[in-house]
Amino acid sequence: MSTRAVWAIAHKEFSDRLRSRWVLITAVGFTLFSILIAYFGTAPIGVAGFQGFSLTVLSLLSLATYFIPLLALVLGGGVMADERDRGTLDLLLACPVTPGEIVAGKYLGLALALVGATAGGFGAAGAVLVLRMGFAGIGSYVLFTGNAVLLGLVFLGFAFLLSVFIRERSKVMAVSVFLWLVLALLYDLGLIGLLILSGGRIPGGVFAGLLAANPIDLFRLLGFLAVGETKMFVGLAAVDFPPALTWPVLLGVFLSWIAAPLAIAAAAFRRRAREGFMA
Amino acid sequence: MKIELRNVSRSFGEVQALADVSLEVREGETLGLVGPNGSGKTTLLKILVGLIPPTSGEIVVDGRVPAPAEWPRLRTRIGYMPERVSFYDNLSAAEVLSFYADLKGVSRERVGPMLERVGLSAVRDRRVGGYSKGMRQRLNLAQALLADPDLLVLDEPTSGLDPVAIREFYDFLSGIRRERAVSVIHSSHILAEIEGRIDRAAILKDGRLKAAGSLEELRSSLNIPLRLILSLRGAAGDLGAALAAEGAYDLVAGNGTIEASVSAGNKMRVMSVLMHRESEIRDLTIREPSLEEVFFGVD
Repeated sequence: MSTRAVWAIAHKEFSDRLRSRWVLITAVGFTLFSILIAYFGTAPIGVAGFQGFSLTVLSLLSLATYFIPLLALVLGGGVMADERDRGTLDLLLACPVTPGEIVAGKYLGLALALVGATAGGFGAAGAVLVLRMGFAGIGSYVLFTGNAVLLGLVFLGFAFLLSVFIRERSKVMAVSVFLWLVLALLYDLGLIGLLILSGGRIPGGVFAGLLAANPIDLFRLLGFLAVGETKMFVGLAAVDFPPALTWPVLLGVFLSWIAAPLAIAAAAFRRRAREGFMA
Repeated sequence: MKIELRNVSRSFGEVQALADVSLEVREGETLGLVGPNGSGKTTLLKILVGLIPPTSGEIVVDGRVPAPAEWPRLRTRIGYMPERVSFYDNLSAAEVLSFYADLKGVSRERVGPMLERVGLSAVRDRRVGGYSKGMRQRLNLAQALLADPDLLVLDEPTSGLDPVAIREFYDFLSGIRRERAVSVIHSSHILAEIEGRIDRAAILKDGRLKAAGSLEELRSSLNIPLRLILSLRGAAGDLGAALAAEGAYDLVAGNGTIEASVSAGNKMRVMSVLMHRESEIRDLTIREPSLEEVFFGVD
């Protein structure tokens, strides 16, 4: 693999997001939302104000759960369709680069933009929170930020997968929203339904597997672990944490969720390039 | 670089885009690929660049069939200029070329001289989004030439350009070819434009290669008649009948003129008649069949 070609493509993708101020706007958005949520997150129980990093992380989980996947899907959804529409995909493929290098370069560039916006945004908010609350419990916030970055990378991989298989950007976006709806909302409703129908007698391993099958639930689990919670919320229900889902297991599965869609996208792109995109 | 298609066919679902095409691009030649829209020109060019594999048949490069994994390396020797490309509107010409220099593995130091060559150095830092069609085409050609390719594959390179820009484009291409032996294949459906600018022509119709060769070879093989236009000193008399007796046809006698079609086989016999009756003739014009006539002469 030519690192120069991969880096050239990555640099272009990242620079595009910097020029369009996507990174800056997203980072500022994360910062503002994080500070607001840190201050007003406990308002439903009648308390307003900065309440420490653990409560802040629990409040931020909801924001990140809904917002980051959507952001990543929109960021990566048009990655191949846009090249096709501009007529530059043929030019890219006519250069001495492999389809794998194109996918790797594009993913790397967009991942840098996403990581920059997420880490920068939450990092800036974290700095403000440290000024107000000190360093106590900051570890949970750092872990949360790292998990948020991973969640974004998972959904960026999903976006690549859709972008390779679906030719038109509008269709990619429609399927992306549907995917988001299923994983962010409907999946947990299904799990609750399953718990109710089974009378709560689902074996722990099966339940753990079902949770791990959804990267958004994985993100929630890692968030709860970061603040030392032993119960987690599935939709509106609180359930005990499956003991099989330890830190290393969760992290391993999470990383697999990044690698698998990307690997499939790269293989599919390679196959489509070999067959010719007109086919 | 010598590249050859052997019995290449390509289908897209039910549509047969190319059928059993065998064609070679010889070292240092300019081959014009002519045919109406939808005749398979773009498909053929994409197969030559390795962007689309043939459904059947093979591509031979310098005497052997390259494996699929070899194509990325081979493309360092091929410059491809697609018909429609809008580049990245938010980048300047210098940034676009720097990007392609990185992809092609050549030094970015080539970007400046190349922009100078294609006449874009004055606007090198202006965003490509504000470029005219002609400027984009020059940038398109610049990216194709960046790695000093042995083969240039140009897909309708003058499509949408005004006559001045078309002439500039061909002048520039001639300049490149004078400097180094680069093989060029370029497609067009404007036959008059490429006539006189190519060494050989390949005629595609409905995905089939109908004929290939120099214009002379095509005229000869297709037996397309030339047209004689005689300006006479006086009345035509029996000159028309004498020409017809030697094989001239489609005779049209006008006010002091005779026009006639003559096949290549009868050309010398007809010329002999004219030599004998030279005193009756004030002027003679021989019009060779144009590429357009050759094109329409192909079934």
